[in-house]
Amino acid sequence: MADLRRLGKRGSYRLGRLGAPSAAPVAPSAPHYPVWVDRHRGPAVLWLLAWLVTVAVLAAGALAGWWFLPFVAGLAAGVAAHYGRWRLRVTLPATVLGAAAGWGAALWWLVRRGLPEGPVAREIAALAGLPAQALAAIAVTLLVAVIQALAGLWLGRALTPGRGSR
Amino acid sequence: MTVGRGLNALAALCASAAVLALFAFGYGPVPALGRALDPGHGAWASAAGGQPAHSQTLALPGLAHPVQVVFTSHGVASIHAADDGDAFLALGYLHARFRLTEMDLERRLGEGRISQLAGSAALATDKFELRLGLLRTAQAEWAATPRTSPAGQVLIRYARGVNDYLAQARSTGDWPSIYALAGVYPTAWTPIDSLVMQGVLTQQLDYTTTPLDYALLEHTLGPAHTMAWFPVLAPAQSTPYDPPPYKHPGIAPIPPQALASAQALAPTTPPQAPATVAHASKGPVPAPATRAAEAILAQTDALPPGLIHEFPDSNAWAANGPVVAGAASMLAGDPHLPQTVPSIWYQAALSAPGLSVTGVTVPGLPGVLIGHNAHIAWSLTDTQNQATLFYTERTSKSRPGQYFWRGAWRRMRQVHYSIPVRGGSPVPLTVDLTVHGPVMTQAGQTTSVDWMGSIASPDIAVMIGVTHASDFAQFRAALANWRAPSQNFVYADDRGHIGAISAGYYPLVRHGDPWLPLPGTGADDVAGVIPYQAVPQVYDPPSHVVATANQRPVGPSYPYYIGTSADFFDPGYRASQIYASVRGQHGMGPAGFASVQLSVTDPLARQIVPRLLAALAAGRPSPQQKAAAGLLRGWNATMAPGSAAAALWWTFWGDYLNAVFQPWWKTANVPVHKDRKGLAISPQQFSLDEVLAAWTTGDPANPAFSPPGGPRRTAPAVMRAAFATAVAHLSALLHGAPSSWAWGRLHSRQFPSVTQAAGLGYGPRASGADSWTVNAADGGLVSHQGPSWRMIVAWTGHGTASGEGVYPGGQSENPASPWYTDQMADWWNGRYLAMPPASGDAAGPVRWSLRP
Repeated sequence: MADLRRLGKRGSYRLGRLGAPSAAPVAPSAPHYPVWVDRHRGPAVLWLLAWLVTVAVLAAGALAGWWFLPFVAGLAAGVAAHYGRWRLRVTLPATVLGAAAGWGAALWWLVRRGLPEGPVAREIAALAGLPAQALAAIAVTLLVAVIQALAGLWLGRALTPGRGSR
Repeated sequence: MTVGRGLNALAALCASAAVLALFAFGYGPVPALGRALDPGHGAWASAAGGQPAHSQTLALPGLAHPVQVVFTSHGVASIHAADDGDAFLALGYLHARFRLTEMDLERRLGEGRISQLAGSAALATDKFELRLGLLRTAQAEWAATPRTSPAGQVLIRYARGVNDYLAQARSTGDWPSIYALAGVYPTAWTPIDSLVMQGVLTQQLDYTTTPLDYALLEHTLGPAHTMAWFPVLAPAQSTPYDPPPYKHPGIAPIPPQALASAQALAPTTPPQAPATVAHASKGPVPAPATRAAEAILAQTDALPPGLIHEFPDSNAWAANGPVVAGAASMLAGDPHLPQTVPSIWYQAALSAPGLSVTGVTVPGLPGVLIGHNAHIAWSLTDTQNQATLFYTERTSKSRPGQYFWRGAWRRMRQVHYSIPVRGGSPVPLTVDLTVHGPVMTQAGQTTSVDWMGSIASPDIAVMIGVTHASDFAQFRAALANWRAPSQNFVYADDRGHIGAISAGYYPLVRHGDPWLPLPGTGADDVAGVIPYQAVPQVYDPPSHVVATANQRPVGPSYPYYIGTSADFFDPGYRASQIYASVRGQHGMGPAGFASVQLSVTDPLARQIVPRLLAALAAGRPSPQQKAAAGLLRGWNATMAPGSAAAALWWTFWGDYLNAVFQPWWKTANVPVHKDRKGLAISPQQFSLDEVLAAWTTGDPANPAFSPPGGPRRTAPAVMRAAFATAVAHLSALLHGAPSSWAWGRLHSRQFPSVTQAAGLGYGPRASGADSWTVNAADGGLVSHQGPSWRMIVAWTGHGTASGEGVYPGGQSENPASPWYTDQMADWWNGRYLAMPPASGDAAGPVRWSLRP
């Protein structure tokens, strides 16, 4: 009823102020820092090195015919995220990029060895019914690695005791 | 753990299992993507096969002695071995190394196993092929081949070479991409596979459904119009390479292999009167027969392109005497086949003690099919004689699985197949066989087919004989047993002799019109074949020239039936152009022969365009039509890509055909949609081309020019109307002035990949030529058939040949290889490459040493 009584009165329609008493002054918020910065375990260089090693292992595994390694890496990342208290917004891109980089590095290695992977990529794309562009086959190949890694990551996180979503 | 977390874990577990299972094993048509796209071992591994070849030593189990292989910069291989067996083993290895996908696809096609690789989409093709029976013929042929015979040994050693490569691929994982993507790999190669390949060639060159088209035409247009417009003998005879007089030494017996199946079918009951069931008879084609025809045509319509013979477009000619300069004789050959990447051909030279041959081979088959040895050269064109006969079997509902033949009910033989399908369950198929051949349909009427591909043909043995021949007598004797596919073998030797012989299977029926489906009760069966001494042939003709371009090889007085104008001889425009260019000439060299092979002069245009211009002069053309006619006035009938007159001519001719015949087709309701290739009005209907050309030049008041129920018309009036239509068509399509309507803007050539994958082929690319130019382009405005190999051999002395050749494509099927399309530019620009010598003394930058 009090609200109804204010209808048509001056100052009654200012947004955010409808009937609410003035809020007490609040202290300015603290500057925002990415959470991992103040919670990581060890120096960042070490983590970067670990990531690079994982990429190298994935590349070597692909060249050896171990096509399932991106899944294993994702699974490991999921489990490690639990014990290392890594946040999903960190592990997710790291896992996706790692899987793609691992298989990408394997392809790059083959090109470095002089193998004509560009025309082969076009052939794969054409045979798969995609546009006959090298990029299409490369994208699909990397996607296969990424999908595996994501499935592994999900499984790893799901199987470990939860602390809520981070 | 909460219920939510449990469900999440379960979902993650299921998703992970599904992803891993899908990537490991695939599902349905989806391949095992994890394995297939693994950078190290999946489809990416095919890059290894695309690397430039380098000199190396390879171990090939099965070799008796070391073999040397030298590659030219274009990858043309010269094999030098200590014996024939090693040479063919090495050839098998090279074929598999550079053309495994192509040869595996071809054998799968012939054996009805494409679905195993391509999935259920290919089931219709597999069923058709298993019905048609290339596999049955190959199995019977191999069963009849003594293992110790030269042909048996060559097939065995060749298969060993292919399997050496398969073993190598299995150990390295370097398969062509298509296998890694499909997850289906080639099985071991057998001699039967090579014989199936031979059958596929026969099918591509000689299987025809023209009798079924005739049946539909007779049913709609009526017998009189059908035989007037699709006559047995065309009104204007082309130049036969074998002119009269002719012998008639009677009829030779049917080849023994063809009789075998008939003898195996014993009667089930004593002779008795047939039941009253649908059957073929003389007179109008009954409706059940048309239903059967439509059912079979629907089967062939579903086949991949190139499996059924469509266009008769090969050239081969030889000359001697004063016609040639600096040589005892010369031979030119350019077989026109579906143009694919890779090509049907793989170029090679083989030498061993007693063996020296160079030319082109077909991957999957041991031997050089076109080329030369130390003394003779040969090339092939398709003979085009009718060797596909359809029989309407007499059946009864009260006697399932039986048919009436020669006064008795017979039981059909049944063959059972199981077709493996990628991503699905195997599909069973039962094929019924009558004395005539496989039953192709039971829709409307039970119809079986008696065709050349059911006849065992010892082609490998024949080609061994040809390869070792040193004169025409040996050449001719070697070809006596050649049955399928019927081919015109053109010949030239180092002693200055030339000749040709049309070796093959020429069935002669006892009774009836073989261009229509025949009654299957026995009276119209094949009674025998044309004796070998009476098949078309010529040796050292007085004109010093022999030329075949798929024209009817004999004149009208030839005493045997060999086919109609629609089934399916070439009109002879190319043959007449070749004869006109070579006969009577003096001192032609290889360059002169090359200019004939590359000619894009259209003889039909040269014949018709003056009549068209005369007709236009009598009319009142619009300014645009006048401008267009002006282009034709000074035109030399050359179908050059930049020629606007060429575009005008081709468009006019199509519109002219339509203007004359479409009213008749429409009134008669010709079911064009049942078989566009066989029934639609187009320049590819050679019978219509021939009769219309003959009427235009000699019978301009023919009643056919007047549409049924319409006003009376003559050729000039129809030509004027058709020209106006053509100008309107081109104006709407190409815009601008008539002088800008270049032929190359309308017409192109395309070379699709054998895998049918878009993007792996070559073209389309603007091109000159048309169906009637010596340098032919067939298949419509985007041509996909033409010269698949151009070769010229000049015999410059005893045992001394100068050979040159080129084909569109390259030696390797791997798109990553520098030898994938490296010869395309030379072919396109009319250049030739020196053939490696038959002697085996080849030079090249890459050398392989093959060790036992």
